[in-house]
Amino acid sequence: MTQFGRQLGIGPTDNTSDQRTPRKPLRLIPSVARESFVPVVPARYVIRTHEWDMTRIAPGRPRGDGTPIEVTGTLRNENGTPIRDALIEIWNANHHGRYRHVEDASGLQLDENFFGMGRVVTDEDGNYRFWTISPGAYLARPDIGRWRPKHIHLSISGGSARLITQMYFPNEPNNASDPMAILMGDGFENNIGKTYETSDLDVDEGYRFDIVVGGRNATFFE
Amino acid sequence: MTQDNGSNLLKATNEDTSGPFFPIYFQDESLEDLTVLGPGIVGAPSGQHIILCGRVLDRHGNLANGVLMEFWQANAKGIYNSPANLGHPDLDSWFNGYGRLRSASGEYKFCTIMPGASDSRAPNITITLFSDGISRIVTQVFFEGHKANETDPVLKSLDTDDQARLIARHGGQTDGGAEIYLLDIVMAGVNETPFFDDFES
Ligand SMILES: [Fe+3]
Repeated sequence: MTQFGRQLGIGPTDNTSDQRTPRKPLRLIPSVARESFVPVVPARYVIRTHEWDMTRIAPGRPRGDGTPIEVTGTLRNENGTPIRDALIEIWNANHHGRYRHVEDASGLQLDENFFGMGRVVTDEDGNYRFWTISPGAYLARPDIGRWRPKHIHLSISGGSARLITQMYFPNEPNNASDPMAILMGDGFENNIGKTYETSDLDVDEGYRFDIVVGGRNATFFE
Repeated sequence: MTQDNGSNLLKATNEDTSGPFFPIYFQDESLEDLTVLGPGIVGAPSGQHIILCGRVLDRHGNLANGVLMEFWQANAKGIYNSPANLGHPDLDSWFNGYGRLRSASGEYKFCTIMPGASDSRAPNITITLFSDGISRIVTQVFFEGHKANETDPVLKSLDTDDQARLIARHGGQTDGGAEIYLLDIVMAGVNETPFFDDFES
């Protein structure tokens, strides 16, 4: 007998969400099959050592336009155990709201000093850190004037932990109308970076973004 | 850190859509063909080579461009390379069982080996989809012609229409001897693929 799980929500004013969100409730995995659904990502990734500093394309190069920021946090599972050696893949739009991606047809300005993609690995204690340029908001729905608020994409893979998420910024005017933020409801707070002082660092703003992998992303091996 | 009321567990970070621009730059060819270890390397996982391919379609039957697909499967002897199986004699040193590809068009092709049957399960591959507009959705694909399909607990938990939506059709053989299996994944609407939830929530 089919047992049902959640009904996924459709992001309001998001055409792609409307086209791609399953309409039927999710089926619950029979318990004997649960283990087979949890991938283990082998640690065989390649990372260039300077990728943690996304404010410039390579060491010694000039910085991109806009505000250099630091993002740091700790990656944990729901029990609070740090997840070490996890890969975090990061991508964000440049100061003007443009991705250096062949499919970004926005026509917004590219920045010759900004690449917008980087990878870091969590340390022994699950900590990570990277620098980037604070992304611009971009107009996702020109027809109705709906913007995507400033955000940084993060993809986390480590052992059987797997999560793709976004870090948002506090007090941004477009946060409230964002379809993904609306779907998250009160939980959206959890996806906003918390500011800290960076006067001793070569960046202008700091954001703490602690990440907890759990719920549907849980690993029950670790 | 924030905590759930009445629970010692930390509150999980919300999943979010990958958006349309998951970097092609992060692509790793060694995760798109698990039959090959890497350039110039002697050795290979054991098992029958297969190619799992098809289309990812949206509610209107259009190709879902820019999808990120991840695959997870047991080796030819039905053993997953998971921490639970550490030291298992039937682990294959040359097979991790995790694959990943990003499809610009929405058509996909994943080269791997036929997973073995394990415990009470029919051979299967777990597919995770990330794309613009959605957070992760997960399903499991089976292979036409396997007797164990009739008794598999995941297939048995579904009605016959849904079962058919998860069984890849055999589509012949390549010149190189790989068996071809075809499966379209329909994200929403008529003929929607059944997707699964990890927990009661
Ligand atoms: Fe984005």
